[in-house]
Amino acid sequence: MLFFIPRKVCLSMKVLVNGENKEFNDGISLEELIRQLGVRKETVVAEVNRQIVQNDQRPGWKLAEGDQVELIQFVGGG
Amino acid sequence: MTTTLEKIKSEDTYQINGKTFTSRLLVGTGKYATNELMGQCLEASGTQIVTVALRRVNLDNKGEKTLLDFIDPKKYTLLPNTAGCYSAEEAIRVAHLARATGISDFVKLEVLHDEKTLLPDPLATLEATKTLVKEGFTVMTYTSDDPVMAQKLEQAGAHAVMPAGSPIGSGQGVLNPNNIRIILEKLKCPVLIDAGVGSASDVAVAMELGVVAVLLNTAIAHAKDPLKMAHAMRHATEAGRLSYLAGRIPKKLYAQASTPLKDF
Repeated sequence: MLFFIPRKVCLSMKVLVNGENKEFNDGISLEELIRQLGVRKETVVAEVNRQIVQNDQRPGWKLAEGDQVELIQFVGGG
Repeated sequence: MTTTLEKIKSEDTYQINGKTFTSRLLVGTGKYATNELMGQCLEASGTQIVTVALRRVNLDNKGEKTLLDFIDPKKYTLLPNTAGCYSAEEAIRVAHLARATGISDFVKLEVLHDEKTLLPDPLATLEATKTLVKEGFTVMTYTSDDPVMAQKLEQAGAHAVMPAGSPIGSGQGVLNPNNIRIILEKLKCPVLIDAGVGSASDVAVAMELGVVAVLLNTAIAHAKDPLKMAHAMRHATEAGRLSYLAGRIPKKLYAQASTPLKDF
């Protein structure tokens, strides 16, 4: 018997970004996530699961289902 | 011999962890109506150190201008704060995030106890100071005006100790000048008044006590005319400092004639 197996071109996964559930392509890098969100990468600090990811590590940092990403920037304060 | 004001000012420097500054007014960047106005006020104040905070990026405002579009980190030393942190752990995390920007290793450490008073939690503040000093930060610690606590913070390695004149944003000025005097007598590290000043005269009074500098935010940002107040605060800081250096006359109960007694 033949079964039709759908070819999954693009698996998606859920990542929690700044407390909001968002869907991205499976295995997306942190760099690409920041780009897709339209956030200016040069002014942002990123944490994944409470661990700071330095700027130069972002392109190679592959995210996984359920990861918690925090994108932080400077704002006014006293 | 005449000494120009500019010469006095340029020679009257102070250091925080080896970095030299001439302006004795540190200004916060919060609560301004616009970032443009904030930038103008920083310029008018003559400040060299500005406090900033760290918060989540608003994902609904993609690509919008950020604070750093209005503050040149080459011109100002950024002093990231840990405002809103209620434990040593949280404050240390925020300090790490701030340093990860690559812009500054200064931190204005504040670990608060409760939202109503915004008074510091002394034990958590001390613990966080020890950790961040060990980790190589330049730590400027916000504290109450308790002289004992100030000494403990200096012993923990704080690069500057910053007692509040009065509660944050309250505009009450320096409520207990005697405690500030005792702190200044006991500490060798720079002591700054951080928080509570409301007007130019409050700043002048603080500077006349002999603190190295004053840090303020609300007093400018929420003035009716913030730009005018920024100018006023600059002049008050300089006037207070010069008055301190010049040395005031002692207060006396009775009159002392300024004109020579009549001799004719």
